[in-house]
Amino acid sequence: MKRLLKNPLSLAGLVIVVILLLAALLAPVLAPFPDHALGGVNPVARFHPPDGTYWMGTDDLGRDIFSRVLYGARISVWTGVLAIGLALVLGVPLGAVAGTFGGAVDELIMRITDIFLSFPPLLLAIAIGAMLGPSLSNTMIAIALAWWPWYTRLIRGEATSVRERPFVEAARAAGVRPLVIVFRHILPNTIAPVIVQASMDFGSVVLTLASLSFLGLGAQVPTPEWGLMINTGRTYFVNAPWYVTYPGLAIFLTVLGFNLLGDGLREVLDPKGVKRSA
Amino acid sequence: MNHRSIMAAVLLPLSLLLAAGCAPKSSSTPPPAQSGPQVGVYVNSSDVVIFWDPSDSFSNEIIAMHNLYETLLRYNPATDKFEPILAESYAHSTDAKTWTFTLRKGVKFHGSNKEMTAEDVKKSIERTMTRGKGAAFIWDAVDKIEVKDPTTVVFHLKYAAPLDLIAASSYGAFVYDVDYAESKGGETWFGQGNDAGTGPYTVESWKKGEDLVLNKFDGYRKGWAGKHFDKVVFKAVTEPATRQQVVNAGEADFVNMMPYDMLKGYENQPELAVRNAKSFENLFALINTKKITNPKVREALALAFPYDAAVNSVAQGYATQSRGIVPDGMWGHAASVPQRKTDTARAIALMAEAGAKDLKVTITYSSGDDAQRQIVELWVAELKKIGVTAEPKGMTWEAQLDLGKAKDPGQRQDIFLMYWWPDVTTPHSWHQSMFHSEKDVSFNLGYYSNPAYDAIIDDAVKLAGTDRAKAAARYAEADQLLYNDAVAIPIYDIQYARVVKKSLKGYVDNPSYPHVVFWYDVYRE
Repeated sequence: MKRLLKNPLSLAGLVIVVILLLAALLAPVLAPFPDHALGGVNPVARFHPPDGTYWMGTDDLGRDIFSRVLYGARISVWTGVLAIGLALVLGVPLGAVAGTFGGAVDELIMRITDIFLSFPPLLLAIAIGAMLGPSLSNTMIAIALAWWPWYTRLIRGEATSVRERPFVEAARAAGVRPLVIVFRHILPNTIAPVIVQASMDFGSVVLTLASLSFLGLGAQVPTPEWGLMINTGRTYFVNAPWYVTYPGLAIFLTVLGFNLLGDGLREVLDPKGVKRSA
Repeated sequence: MNHRSIMAAVLLPLSLLLAAGCAPKSSSTPPPAQSGPQVGVYVNSSDVVIFWDPSDSFSNEIIAMHNLYETLLRYNPATDKFEPILAESYAHSTDAKTWTFTLRKGVKFHGSNKEMTAEDVKKSIERTMTRGKGAAFIWDAVDKIEVKDPTTVVFHLKYAAPLDLIAASSYGAFVYDVDYAESKGGETWFGQGNDAGTGPYTVESWKKGEDLVLNKFDGYRKGWAGKHFDKVVFKAVTEPATRQQVVNAGEADFVNMMPYDMLKGYENQPELAVRNAKSFENLFALINTKKITNPKVREALALAFPYDAAVNSVAQGYATQSRGIVPDGMWGHAASVPQRKTDTARAIALMAEAGAKDLKVTITYSSGDDAQRQIVELWVAELKKIGVTAEPKGMTWEAQLDLGKAKDPGQRQDIFLMYWWPDVTTPHSWHQSMFHSEKDVSFNLGYYSNPAYDAIIDDAVKLAGTDRAKAAARYAEADQLLYNDAVAIPIYDIQYARVVKKSLKGYVDNPSYPHVVFWYDVYRE
């Protein structure tokens, strides 16, 4: 932790992430107009520029953008956690099984991951999102399906080396069942790099979520999702620049925060790790 | 300082900086002086050409095609009169089943330079009927077309129909050189951006995704004396903000369909004007009568609709609340049908009477259409007040239509938002397309089926050929039935609002030809 806090960039990342998490957690308390993020409208105050009442101005339906940006943090954090969680649930056991058993099982799982990895994650998420239909939950599934192979490959590499370690050999010699070896002995000893990777991926996941919503494949109105807010506000960029600027800033800071924090974590927890190019 | 004040202190300066730096300029830049050929520029919000074949045309391309091709007549709804275009005159039998058109002489086709004859009219309409694409259905009443002599063509109908309106249709009624087009390759040749019409302009250049440029046709029947544009350029600029930049730079003579929120900024500018015009286009919501079967629930949904906010906040007053399904100004508009007003208390009472609890509805609308999206969001908020949870789905028009026609009726939407404007200027276009019983779903996306209603409009369409007043009365009856059954929510009749250069003279909007500028009739001063 000390090493993490000593690095000013990592510290900045940590501060941003903490602020984001607090905003997400305390949105109902901090938001001056919580109803504006929960389906309420206020057409009499359309395109109100930022002032003491509406700190970030209002949108085309008179809703307070600050309140919506705060609630948007909840959506981004929650969706990001669930999407990465789902990707981990899919990817980690498969990687552990492939790395532990090797042979045909390994070949099969790795070739499947190769198919998924042959597409850029965003493009794959767009394709899956388009197939499943536009909704926030489908976006989550699309992101998880685009991300799981990275974790499979990562954990498979770790498992391949751990399976030769004496404590695994001992368990095998003692007659422990193979799947128990995977989940009790291999996984706990291979999970650290995955945690680092997942924290680094969080920013990309938030960005992908915003991209899908911007393209109309993710959250639907009136959800205060940042990408969707940019989509609906882009028409008014010239006349009401605040409409798109603040959700854009929120995405920018979130991605920046998680990337800085992820870099710091990697240095602390996984100094030998090689940065993955997405 | 509490936490809110601290945040305000951080955010306010940033906001003010943004507002100051990005605020729109208050006046437009003067257009550059033009020397040489006069070039008119039309900016559209989407691709100008979808179909090139004049028989198949059924989309945006009419804004160019009415300058490349001509019809026998042109309808003026303001005067309820027909302007002779390729026909000099016409007459019909008392039973409205035989229509005789006398053609203009000296009309030449582009490309072949051949003079138009009655045979060409017959071949054009027959090719449209045979292909059966686009708006070919408008000729359904035609039994056969007879050529009496080179300047006389007779239409024999299976049943009485207003063939003058049909011949003046904005879609599917173009006369062109079929022989020449077929000798060049027909549909394929058309698809490469060629034309074979008689209009004042001919295609100079076109590539998919690029500008369409028309050049004047030297052999045009009216000649080129006087003030006219030599060339016309059609540009597709899909992003509203970019369209705004194009207008501000003075690069467009005519800009179609700017978002309502941008229009106010052009109302008091020296070089530009916002031109409002009545349209025959309206926005409405079709309620799925197969899922929401109780008329009380449908009525409650209609009473929860935010009519005032839709007209005043969303359309910024560039629309008027609809009365009935046929827009005001069209013949057949039902002035006797009441307008609903938002009445949340009554809606709640109706929901209780119907025993409807925890109702969930999906509303589909065209993604990218800000007005539709804003209306849906306003409505969702109102529906929440009456205990209805609405799930809006912004979709492309094609996806929306596919969902509406899904084989499994259970997958279809509950409410479908859409615009409609007529092909032939008749109320039948709305009544038949959206509400007549259908075996296979076409545009009846509320799936309404009422034999009494069908009988009324089947009768009205036959009367339209002989007695328009009686037909209009029947259509009004049909409209009242739609109101009573609450099968649709007519939202607003659109006013077309275009940003036009003040130097563009002679432009008259004709709602029967939506978004069309007849460029021969306008000039720059």
